Amino acid sequence: MIEVAGVTKRYGERAAVDGIGFSVSQGEILGFLGPNGAGKTTTMRILTGYVPPTSGTARVAGFDVQEHPIEAKRRIGYLPEHPPLYTDMLVRPFLRFVATIRGVPGKDINARVDRAIERCGLAPVAGRLIGNLSKGFQQRVGLAQAILHEPDVLILDEPTVGLDPSQIRDIRQLIKSFAGAHTVILSTHILAEVTMTCNRVLIINEGRIAADETLEQLAARGGKTRRIALRLARPGDGVEGAIRAIPGVLSVIREGGQDGAFVVETEGTRDAREAIAQAAVTHGWGLLEMRPITLSLEDIFICIIQGEEAA
Amino acid sequence: MRNVLAIAWREVRTYFTSPLAYVVVGVFLMLSGWMFWASLVRFSSLCLQYGNNPYVFNQLNVNDMVVRPMFGSMAVIFLLLIPVVTMRLLAEERRTGTAELLFTCPITSGQVILGKYLGAAFLLAVMLGVTLSYPLLIMATSAKPDVGPTLVGYLGVLLLGLSFIAVGLLISAMTENQIVAAVGAFGALLMLWAIGWVADSATDTVAYRLNQVTFGLWDKLHLGLGGPTVGDLLNKLSVSEHLGDFRKGLLDTEHVVFYLSVVFFSLFMTQRIVESRRWRG
Ligand SMILES: Nc1ncnc2c1ncn2[C@@H]1O[C@H](COP(=O)(O)OP(=O)(O)OP(=O)(O)O)[C@@H](O)[C@H]1O
Ligand SMILES: [Mg+2]
Repeated sequence: MIEVAGVTKRYGERAAVDGIGFSVSQGEILGFLGPNGAGKTTTMRILTGYVPPTSGTARVAGFDVQEHPIEAKRRIGYLPEHPPLYTDMLVRPFLRFVATIRGVPGKDINARVDRAIERCGLAPVAGRLIGNLSKGFQQRVGLAQAILHEPDVLILDEPTVGLDPSQIRDIRQLIKSFAGAHTVILSTHILAEVTMTCNRVLIINEGRIAADETLEQLAARGGKTRRIALRLARPGDGVEGAIRAIPGVLSVIREGGQDGAFVVETEGTRDAREAIAQAAVTHGWGLLEMRPITLSLEDIFICIIQGEEAA
Repeated sequence: MRNVLAIAWREVRTYFTSPLAYVVVGVFLMLSGWMFWASLVRFSSLCLQYGNNPYVFNQLNVNDMVVRPMFGSMAVIFLLLIPVVTMRLLAEERRTGTAELLFTCPITSGQVILGKYLGAAFLLAVMLGVTLSYPLLIMATSAKPDVGPTLVGYLGVLLLGLSFIAVGLLISAMTENQIVAAVGAFGALLMLWAIGWVADSATDTVAYRLNQVTFGLWDKLHLGLGGPTVGDLLNKLSVSEHLGDFRKGLLDTEHVVFYLSVVFFSLFMTQRIVESRRWRG
């Protein structure tokens, strides 16, 4: 549905996006993740044809965004980072205007506008001036204008910014309801949002793709036991030495605060837990607790970003 | 066309939901009405004064003394007001980010620009439409202005206004700041207005000047040193000069072509700028 190949965008000397390539198939929900200034918004602007890339191509539904902009744009619904709203218009006339220029046939406009108002929970404010709405409702108007024409591809730049928790849940539900029939790309800083709505994650850092994985793959990175927390009832002096002797163990640290607490660092590829348990039994340390310290999504995210920076 | 009209209609709504349209139309009517009334009063007092002097009385003509100055004053008021009408058009879209909506919709930049242009032109039509009441007012009296020349005059100020709007739109595409757009448009229009003022003293021919900048090469090629003067050329570029014949009631295609060229050139340049602007995001 979406194919991006070798897209670079330079502003002066700086490359905001540097040779990005990925593809999204129909029905997928792809999450864009990345620190501030990573190039998420720029990538989305290139996809929607607002900003032409310096080099590379972006195709939506088979149409090159630069060569056949009208055909490509017809299939895209886009919510920019700052919702593009005419503050001097009422909600309903604004949506009717957008429906018209998005190419909705005249006879369908009313029905589509009503449907978008209902789906985004705008009914209570449909007759109000957009400029007077709260930030959250403005965001919803922005979302409504993006889904009005039932686009094949929905591109949402930080769609849940400024919403209250219950609205966030509603909007996530709405986004999920698009899965299957529509293709969705959304950007966010909230990792939980990715786990809850997306089935694939693209981590962008400094204009490059740092990771392109399904949620399972990403979670699996954290699942690999690399650090193990231990608690022993009778830790003697020889504990560190004995554990370090186990193959695959890199280091053993005695946790200062808690008596008998250790953190064992192991090679990611080898699971040393069984051997540690064995040693505890033979030395009579009194093993109270042993658990793998799994990486949270946040940790993985930070690892990926920093790994990229170190490279 | 549907897209163009949708954008034009939205523009018109914005004009009339903000105080801007009312202020602009109000100021225009107040000033043009006052000037019209002033020349009417002068005309009627002259008529009274020379009522028993048939020679002078027959020279007094309501077209010359009332209708023609009316078009002149309208043109001057446009010079001041049209930058205010056009300043918002593209500058505001860019500032508020709604440009990102327009340019990611399946419409072309040409349609956006044309829609904006027509929206502003509608406001111009409203202004001029209301002033049709002035000549109608004196139709009702015994001083009958000639209909033909009056209509030609109207065509002239309409074309002048349309060219002003196109220039204003062009300037509005160059900035995100409405004030800058207004001042810039005012400067550009005033320059186009006054460009012919040096015509009388610029009596060198264009060919002579070309000969100078090419260090005599022009003459060596026997291209001739006669032809139009620099002043003539500047006059041809002057938006005020081309209005003269319309005000006299003379319809000349040269002037129509001039104003339409200003419109097309400005709209074309606007489109080029909007397209390149997107290169910079
Ligand atoms: N119009 C522009 N002119 C110059 N530089 C720009 C422009 N737009 C973006 N940039 C630069 O490109 C880089 C990427 O910006 P972008 O807005 O795509 O980041 P982002 O991932 O969306 O960040 P955020 O999470 O803060 O929204 C930034 O360094 C930014 O300064
Ligand atoms: Mg962004």
